[in-house]
Order: sequence, then structure tokens, then C-alpha cells
Amino acid sequence: MTDALSEETLKRMMLRSLDGDEGAYRHLLQALRGLLLAYYRRRLALGARSDLEDLVQDTLLALHARRDTYDRTRPFTAWFFSIARYKLVDHFRRGGGRMLVDLDETLEAASGEDALTARIDVERLLDGLPPRQRELLRRVKLDGESIAEAAGRAGQTETAARVGIHRSLKALARKLRGET
Amino acid sequence: MSNPDDLIESLVRDLKPMPAHALERRMAALVLPALGLSLLVMLVFFGFRVDMAHALSLPVFWIKSAYNALLAILAFVAIRRLSRPDGDAGGIFAGFGLVVAAMAIVAGIQLAVSPTESYRVLIVGGSALHCPFLILGFALPVLYANFSLLRKSAPVDLRLAGFVAGLAAGAAGAWVYSWFCTENGMPFVLLWYSLGILLVGLIGALAGPRLLRW
Repeated sequence: MTDALSEETLKRMMLRSLDGDEGAYRHLLQALRGLLLAYYRRRLALGARSDLEDLVQDTLLALHARRDTYDRTRPFTAWFFSIARYKLVDHFRRGGGRMLVDLDETLEAASGEDALTARIDVERLLDGLPPRQRELLRRVKLDGESIAEAAGRAGQTETAARVGIHRSLKALARKLRGET
Repeated sequence: MSNPDDLIESLVRDLKPMPAHALERRMAALVLPALGLSLLVMLVFFGFRVDMAHALSLPVFWIKSAYNALLAILAFVAIRRLSRPDGDAGGIFAGFGLVVAAMAIVAGIQLAVSPTESYRVLIVGGSALHCPFLILGFALPVLYANFSLLRKSAPVDLRLAGFVAGLAAGAAGAWVYSWFCTENGMPFVLLWYSLGILLVGLIGALAGPRLLRW
């Protein structure tokens, strides 16, 4: 999924769409439709599933009509999910007093979205590292293993693992600062 | 339109190449004519201040003009950000704070070097009561333009977007008004001009959630 619908892919399709490429736009809308269905399905209460299709279509229409508010220099997914979230909140507001999800679910849903974009970003960053370092970093920083455990699995001494992780983090920091 | 593929196809058919900076162009196309209309109304029905030739050589005239222009520029920059769904207010309130604080310093200096008898003229002048409302009047065309812009954009915080749209219109209206207004008191500008700008801002904040939904 991170492969097919990464920030990079979606943004590339959006930029081509803005230049008038109909094929790219068709692909983009189909991909976004899938993302919206998943996004809203998780957030609408069971009884409100009939609203799902309306909400998805309304959001696609809105992002089409307001696509000049996308700043080509900024991340596409942030723009897209902001519209999706606005349309969801607006949908609840229009529902009057009937709040269709409880707060816990909304909070969980919000972190789900962050988790999606964060995962896309982290995976892309890690992809730039050599396989051994990537594996080590993933085990220690993402999966929460101790350095000793991870070193054991990788067949390294703990010191070597520490140095490796330190170097990887420095490399990532350089990358984030745009130095590479 | 019930079939999702029909919708996507109709959107694809409607696709036209989007020029770079389309949002900024739309902003300019709405705001500049509105500002022009305000200026025209001011010139035709009010005219430049009666002592214009003399005023042009007064630092206080240009400080008054710059105060309103700076606030307007800050607010328009913020509108541009807030019209995007992933945008925020940026540094507008810090910027406003700095400009108002600078004006307060200038006002303090002017009071410090002026005789006490002139305080009434410098603070209340002769137009304090109608100044904020004339600013509101000159702000209306720009307020309309700002709301038209935002209605076709994608603001997500409607109250904040409305407030900033009002501040921008208020500051632009105040700048237009400053060509007619004969007050030279910096405390006057700090008080009554700011009050007029804030008034338009509050109207925008009230109208935002009602008029800007999309």
C-alpha cells in the first residue's frame, strides 16, 4: 500500500492533473476515492453507512472545485486529508444534534490518519539506508527491542550496533535537513 | 451522478490546466478592484484631506498610512494561508502585535514631546466618534471580495478565516480613509483606527461560520 499510494505517487499524479493530464487525474480520483471510502468507513457509525457514498462524492466534488488551493510546493496528503476531515466534521455538523461517532473513535481515527502519513514518511526515509542499518533501526526504534537483542539477531556486537544506529540516525537527520 | 465512475468521468471532462499561482491570481482579481472601488468612493464623495499638500510632508501622515498598510499586508498574507485547507494563521497575530506595539511607542513619543493642552486633539481629535464607522464603510467592498475569495477556497477554521478576512478589509479600508482623515495624532490612530479595524474583524468572525461553509 505504501508503494502504490505513497505521498510521492499521489503528488506526482496531482501535479500532472493540475497541468491538465486527464489520464493522471482519472487515476488520482480513483485512488483518492479508495482512500476516502476507507477513511470515512472507519469514522462513520454503523447506522450511517448509507451516508458513506454521499460523503465520498461530496468530497471529490469539493476537492475538484477547490483544487487551486493546493500549493504545489507542499505535501499532497496533508492537503487531501485536511479536506476529507473538514467534510467529515461538516457532515456531523449538518446532522444536527446526532453525533454519529463518540469522541474515543474520533481520536482513534485522527491518530489512524497520522499513523498512515507518518508510516509513509518513515518508510521512505528508511528506504534510503543500507539494508543492515535499516533493519537494526527498525527493530530498536520502531519495534522497541533493546539494542542487545537487536544486535544479537543481526550477529553484531552491541557496540557495533550502537555505532550503526547512531550513524543511521545522523544520516537520516542529514536527509531531513535536505543535505543529501 | 449516483454511479461513482460517472462522477469521476464528469470531473475528468471538466479538467482544465491550472495556471501557476491560480489562488493568488484569483485573490488579486477580487481584491484589487474592490480596493479601487473604495478609493474611488473616497475620492469622489470625500476627496483628499483638505490640507493634502502640507500633509504629504508630515511624517505622521506617512506613519498613519504605513500602519494601516502593514496591517493589511499581514492580514492578506494570512488570508492566503487560511484559504488552503492545510494552512494556518501563520504569524499574523505576532505581526499585528509588533506593528501595534511600534505604533504605541510612536504615540507615546508624540505625547511626550507635546504640551498637555494638545492631548485632547491628539487622542480624541475631532472625528473619533465617526472614524471607526467610516473605516467600516470603506472596508465593505474589500470585505465582500475577501468573503467571495474564501467561499471558493477551502478554509477549515471558518471563524478564524472570517476574522482575518475582516481584519484585512478593515486595515485596507483604514488605509483608504487615511487619505481623507485630517487627524495627525498618533494616539488617535492607535485607538480609533485600530478600533475600526477590529470592528470589521469581529463582523468577519461572526459571519465566517455562516457564510464560508463549503
